[in-house]
Amino acid sequence: MAKFLLYRILQAIFVVIAVTLIVSFAIRLTGDPAVMLAQGAGSITEADLEKIREALGLNQSFLAQYLDFLRGLLVGDFGRSFMGGTPVSDLIGRALPATLALAFASLFISIAVSIPLGIKAAVSRGKWPDQMIRIFSLIGLSFPNFWLAIMLVLLFSITFNLLPPSGMEGFTSFIMPAATMGIILTATNVRLVRTTMLDTLRSQYIMVARAKGLSNTVVLYKHALRNCSIPLITYFGLQFGGLLGGIVVVERVFNWPGLGTLAFEAVAARDYPVLQGVITVLSLLIISINLIVDIAYGLVDPRVRKE
Amino acid sequence: MKKTQTLLSRVVAGTALSAALYASAQAGSLTVASPQDPGSWDPIDTFLVNWASVATNVYDGLTYRGPDLKLVPGLATQWEEFDDGRHIRFTLREGVTFHNGEAFNAEAVKFTFDRLLGEEGAQGPQRSNYTAIENVEVIDDYTVDFHLSEPDPVLLTKLAGYGAMIVPPEYITEYGDDHFNTHPMGTGPFKVVEYNPRENVQLEAYEGHWGGAPKLDKVTYRFIAEPATAVAELQAGRVDIVIPPTIPIGMIKTINNHDGTSVVSVPSPTVEALRFNTQSGITTDERVRKALIMAVDRQAIIDSILAGEGEMIASFQSAQSFGNDPEMEPIPYDPQRARQLLDEAGVEPGTRVQIDVRGNDATFGEVAQVVASYLQGVGITASIQPYETNVLLNDIIPAGRTGEMFQQKWGGWTFDFDNTAYLMYHTGERWNPYDSDAKLDEMLDAQRSITDQDEREDLLQAIARYTQDRALEMPLYSINALYGVRDRVKNFEPAPDNRMRLTDVDVAD
Amino acid sequence: MTTASKTDKLKRFKNLEFILGVLLVGGIGLAVIFSDWLFPGGGTVLDLSLRLTPPLAEPGYPLGTDPLGRDVLARVVVGGKISLKVGVYSALGAVVIGIIMGLVSGYYGGFLDIIVMRFADVQLALPFILLAITFIAVIGGGLTNMIILLIISQWVQYARLVRGSVLSLRDREFILSAKAIGVKDIRILFQHLLPNLMGPVIVLMTLNVANNILLESSLTFLGLGVDPVIPSWGGMLAEGRTYLQTAWWVSVFPGLAILLTVLGLNLLGDWLRDTLDPTGRTSL
Repeated sequence: MAKFLLYRILQAIFVVIAVTLIVSFAIRLTGDPAVMLAQGAGSITEADLEKIREALGLNQSFLAQYLDFLRGLLVGDFGRSFMGGTPVSDLIGRALPATLALAFASLFISIAVSIPLGIKAAVSRGKWPDQMIRIFSLIGLSFPNFWLAIMLVLLFSITFNLLPPSGMEGFTSFIMPAATMGIILTATNVRLVRTTMLDTLRSQYIMVARAKGLSNTVVLYKHALRNCSIPLITYFGLQFGGLLGGIVVVERVFNWPGLGTLAFEAVAARDYPVLQGVITVLSLLIISINLIVDIAYGLVDPRVRKE
Repeated sequence: MKKTQTLLSRVVAGTALSAALYASAQAGSLTVASPQDPGSWDPIDTFLVNWASVATNVYDGLTYRGPDLKLVPGLATQWEEFDDGRHIRFTLREGVTFHNGEAFNAEAVKFTFDRLLGEEGAQGPQRSNYTAIENVEVIDDYTVDFHLSEPDPVLLTKLAGYGAMIVPPEYITEYGDDHFNTHPMGTGPFKVVEYNPRENVQLEAYEGHWGGAPKLDKVTYRFIAEPATAVAELQAGRVDIVIPPTIPIGMIKTINNHDGTSVVSVPSPTVEALRFNTQSGITTDERVRKALIMAVDRQAIIDSILAGEGEMIASFQSAQSFGNDPEMEPIPYDPQRARQLLDEAGVEPGTRVQIDVRGNDATFGEVAQVVASYLQGVGITASIQPYETNVLLNDIIPAGRTGEMFQQKWGGWTFDFDNTAYLMYHTGERWNPYDSDAKLDEMLDAQRSITDQDEREDLLQAIARYTQDRALEMPLYSINALYGVRDRVKNFEPAPDNRMRLTDVDVAD
Repeated sequence: MTTASKTDKLKRFKNLEFILGVLLVGGIGLAVIFSDWLFPGGGTVLDLSLRLTPPLAEPGYPLGTDPLGRDVLARVVVGGKISLKVGVYSALGAVVIGIIMGLVSGYYGGFLDIIVMRFADVQLALPFILLAITFIAVIGGGLTNMIILLIISQWVQYARLVRGSVLSLRDREFILSAKAIGVKDIRILFQHLLPNLMGPVIVLMTLNVANNILLESSLTFLGLGVDPVIPSWGGMLAEGRTYLQTAWWVSVFPGLAILLTVLGLNLLGDWLRDTLDPTGRTSL
């Protein structure tokens, strides 16, 4: 078991190094931040640019810059933004909670909708409610998310003036962005709940519960649902990673002060440290979630360890 | 744990906060949407116009240039030039204090420019604009002398903005540069009370301003990059003013149709042109370049796509620019003649040209497509290549890797053709990757050492005519600066260069 | 038993998902394929005097015109070409690479397997859109780049799927006996293994085409797309966004086109999954 753990952790470290290496390298291909900063300045000379690069630490070799970044990473120091010199960890410290909150809210909305719909679909398997539920959840999956977002703003902020069109200020501002993300997740989650539920309903223990004369609702929501909670939670956990990656566009439309908005501006400004920091933090999150799931499975199911 | 708490408190306090933002509906406080957070408020760190729109309220320069574009005294009450402009003496305003109470005097001026021209300034982009200044000498508490290595005809204008904003010496020495970046301090009519990076910056009136206290108590700038979002916030009444460059032409009607909001526009120094690759392709031929210009009905583009929010230009400068000759006519729209010229130059119908544009510029995307369709009318097939803005500006253009034509958008904040023309046409400049013209170089250099402004204006106009003769670009239009404003905002005067001081602005309900 | 499964099969074809899916994908697919013939102008003919004409207001423009006076209907139909090209080509590319990688790493195992799987780990840990924005900033937008990017981001899913199936089939009797009688590896891989795992791959691919169309429109929406003269759904949405409140038809119709196409593909994919992959390997 110790060997399995060690192996998995080594693997995760490898992935972290590879990811950061790719990201740092790719970012440095996108253009010279010194020129960006100097934009609009008068006749700027190469010597002026060189001084700016020196101040940004860009005159060192790529390897030196990368090792510097890795060293910082170990102590949670991602360097300073090229735009204004704010420590990147400060920026991420502000943005990460906002993104996580939105991701949780989206997941919550999606789960809250999927569980009753999935159960209903499972119970009425093959009949028209089942088909309707699946088709409607697929409609949700098929929306271009930014378009959906803009339409929601038009309806709820401008026409009815009910919800704030952007920003993160209190409960009401969560509704539209979380719904946009949540609707898209719902299709997959409904199907998942349905499948898991179908398996459980066939199991003997549910038959027994039914035979005991428990009411249908109690059987479904108490016994059956509890029984499928483990696969569901695992899957929702994995989904969280994908959700973080997909949140960028929605954050942009809603001007959400999260990692996506931060990264988007960083790309535009060639703000290497910020972009590097954001992608690294996102990747670390995804890797750790996967690692935790892997290890948990390894503990439960010895077969996995051999692989 | 701490972070979770912050978040939680933010969410819980959210209702209060959104109430506070809605409180922009109360008299005395104003909310402005700005498309970009410059990241640092230190004058020497940035060149972004959206830095200036906030910082104009926080700092003062020795001179001041308001929306009417006239230079008036700022922190200097008067100035005198000696030695052909190589020596300028400023008399400073007395009794001025920074927001923390620190006194403004000659030492502060010297400190500001020593910092700008020294080690600290070398790390930023601003220094290069002020290199004509050799040193600043303190004569007495309220008199300073600027010694220049060469005359700089636009220096007084440059002292009204950006890197030349006067900063507090004691404050910076005590707290350091990093602290100053996020906790700026000046002598301006508003002081910064809170800055949340990438979200907002909050200003409060500085009662002790030498020009009198502002009418507003509080101003909040929110950073919103997406135009549709900024406009939605305006419509929802949570933002009072949306400042340029945010509003695309296509949204003017949306704002004007909405109850309680309207678009206020003012001619700006921003000009757009399609410049030619004079080194390869059919555009090496002057006749072809002229033909391409004649093929495009620029006035029709302004009337339809720009909804009239622009003006034809004959050279690459706006009407307010020093060096613009109002007598000079644009090359006329004449597709007939264009076809003739193309024929003379031996260009086959169906010849392809490529137009490089900024991918995120909605309005220009439409303009470019209309241009392409006009070119089609004279038998030229144009394709449009969108680039990410920074790739186009920092890589494609300077490296000379553009198609036959490329979009150039130019701010021209000095309102002086010198700045534009030198960077666009002088051999070896980064915006001039293709052309080298000895005569043009000579004229450009000559005007820089002339202190007689009439003589200089003549020369600048001659330069403009010369570039038209050679058809170095297809000048399209100067475009208006568009502000989206709620009706409750009073006394708002749109600034052509986006540097609007809110001293006189008020809100009513 | 046999009769039961027969009626089951019949039932599947009467399934609402299947019918809707075929109608949507078939209808839109046909319109797009014949778009050159239906709209010879390709939706690029521009008339500034007809800017932003509402639907049904002007003969010949049933869905109105865009900000440059072009026919919205023509642009929607022709614009489908870009979206479908990106969607289909990138999914095909990803399938081919994914299958080869998956077969090799699953069948041979060992070092090759470790390399491929670590590649996959790295890929899955990278937030795609952010990378796409970064890469497109470097290499520029355009059809080919977009397709390459999507392939790079998606082959991993197939590789994992195929590898998993190969692992479970590798030690089955029919493979072992083929090996024992000296059948070449390449034949085992492509003749014996591949047909057994195409079901889930086809399911995944259908869903992937749908997803790619959405991604393409997102990237174009973010200003990273193709030449704006060539109509594309994502591009039309981006252009129409500023006119949403004053001329809804400019972006609502391309938006609907995306929605219906993606929905059709998703419905088909969902139905295929029930039919070809009852064990649900592709549901995650």
